[in-house]
Amino acid sequence: MEQALRNPVRRPEARKAVLTDRQRFWIGRGLTYLCLVVAVIVIVFPIYWMVITSLKLPREIYRMPSLWPRVFTLENFRVLLVDKDFLRPILNSLIVSTAVTVISVLISSCAAYSMVRFRYRFKGLIGRIILFAYLTPTSLLFIPLSILMARMNLGNSLHGLILVYLTFSLPLSTWLLQGYFRGVPRELEEQGMIDGLSRFGALLRIVLPLSAPGIAAVSIFTFTGAWNELLLALVLVTSESQRTTPLALNYLITSDVLPWGPLMAGAVLSSVPLMILYFIAQHFMVQGLTAGSVKG
Amino acid sequence: MSSSAEPQAAPRAGRWLTASRRMHLFAYALVLPAIALILGLVAYPFLYAIYVAFTDRMVGSAGNWVGFANFRYLAGTAVFSSAIWNTVVLVVVTDILKLLIGLGLALLVNQHLPGRGLFRAFLMLPWAMPAFVAFLTWRVLYQPIGGGLNLILTQTGIYPHVIDWLGKRETAMPSVILASVWRGFPFWFISILAALQSIPKDLYEAARVDGANAWQRFWMVTFPGIRQVLIVTTLLSSIWTANAFEHVWLLTQGGPSDATMVFPVLAYFGMQTQRIGEAAAVSVAMLPVLAILVIIATSMLQKDED
Repeated sequence: MEQALRNPVRRPEARKAVLTDRQRFWIGRGLTYLCLVVAVIVIVFPIYWMVITSLKLPREIYRMPSLWPRVFTLENFRVLLVDKDFLRPILNSLIVSTAVTVISVLISSCAAYSMVRFRYRFKGLIGRIILFAYLTPTSLLFIPLSILMARMNLGNSLHGLILVYLTFSLPLSTWLLQGYFRGVPRELEEQGMIDGLSRFGALLRIVLPLSAPGIAAVSIFTFTGAWNELLLALVLVTSESQRTTPLALNYLITSDVLPWGPLMAGAVLSSVPLMILYFIAQHFMVQGLTAGSVKG
Repeated sequence: MSSSAEPQAAPRAGRWLTASRRMHLFAYALVLPAIALILGLVAYPFLYAIYVAFTDRMVGSAGNWVGFANFRYLAGTAVFSSAIWNTVVLVVVTDILKLLIGLGLALLVNQHLPGRGLFRAFLMLPWAMPAFVAFLTWRVLYQPIGGGLNLILTQTGIYPHVIDWLGKRETAMPSVILASVWRGFPFWFISILAALQSIPKDLYEAARVDGANAWQRFWMVTFPGIRQVLIVTTLLSSIWTANAFEHVWLLTQGGPSDATMVFPVLAYFGMQTQRIGEAAAVSVAMLPVLAILVIIATSMLQKDED
């Protein structure tokens, strides 16, 4: 380097070094994009396969598999919705997931607010219990829960499902909402109370509106959690009329004939709305995820 | 804590409901419904599961206390040992792969790239897909007849013969692992990316000035910045993978001949055969390891919070 500074003749070489730096940059860029594009292809291919399988005729699915359907058909959707009566499970899932979301967001808003704003005995213990509950896996709880639900005459009913789904949704939403409420400045609330609001009024009028994005994210997580649940539904629900979407699809593959077309049509119906929602609201959902680590 | 400490409470000491007490009651009243439901729906069933595991309960009979008999019986069965082995393999291998893929992609997307938002959105997609849909889709992909994977491998000439991925002992477990990694890596990717973005940029500048090369910068700046997130993510991911039901159930139901059997599926089969004590023992058997992971994760998450 010193040589280069002293001797102007050597300067072209210094420029060459800058050039290779730039080349290196572009090679790095190129490799980065190559890796990312490969990753995107690997991610998109199964989703693509799900969609085109749902649009193929049975003979195309089994006899002449191809990357692009020769004939597009909605026959699989007709079979699923009309012959297999798939609207019933969709409706059941909507009822269960909505009820679970509303109940857990209401109850956990109160709990999270209490834990963020007040100091009292056992608060640390309560926080610990909520975290333990959040991390207690369903695989450990499904046996006792099925016994208890049967004892309470809530087995095989949507009410029972709503109740047991609170086991995972309630700790999750309390844990996440604590993070959001902590972000609302205490001063705003105190100002509101000076202006004549009660504590509860301050929660309703100030804290909840300010954490609206958080509550929306938590609602989506809770809803999808209930929408996706399979094990508890499998254990608790015995009659066809009470089946939820994952359960109905599960019974499609445990029958002897494997109807891939209608199965993928059901997969499309039960996932595409959610995936579009996540795709659009990604910033939002990422914040929620990193606020408290959401079960995958 | 006590109401006498509040100055305004002194003049009306005769009243039972002082302002401070009212506030405490309000605070407890708000947290009570959540805690009552969690105790009733999680804590009680949790303890009940442990109790049932020590009985010979069947459907229709409450059962008697049998001590460790269920566990002794299970320890002697081949399917139980393969469930232990499969669970360990599944958790360790998927964790390592998800770590490598998630970290690699997060490092790539963390650069100032045109279009990084779009890439991030695509890389998150499997996470947005319901698990049951993801594994049903992979089940179709793996099919010998009409499956997309075989189609690609045979048409591109990478491997000319159709493979029954889920039906053969040697390929069943790798297939379950691949599908689990596909569905599970976005969680790692997003968590690691968020941690990377919280590392101050001037730390990198300082390291560069000190003459650290890219590798040294990674170990001295990046790694300490994401270490906490890596540990928490590993713990959470291990807990969830070890207890997941959908992946194995929807892909192989534990087969062929128990090659992919894991605890939750084994417990479910136990319940279907109506021997509830034994089924509970299966799910309780992994409790010691699970408890250690949960306790470490809980204390790390609570420390995070403060």
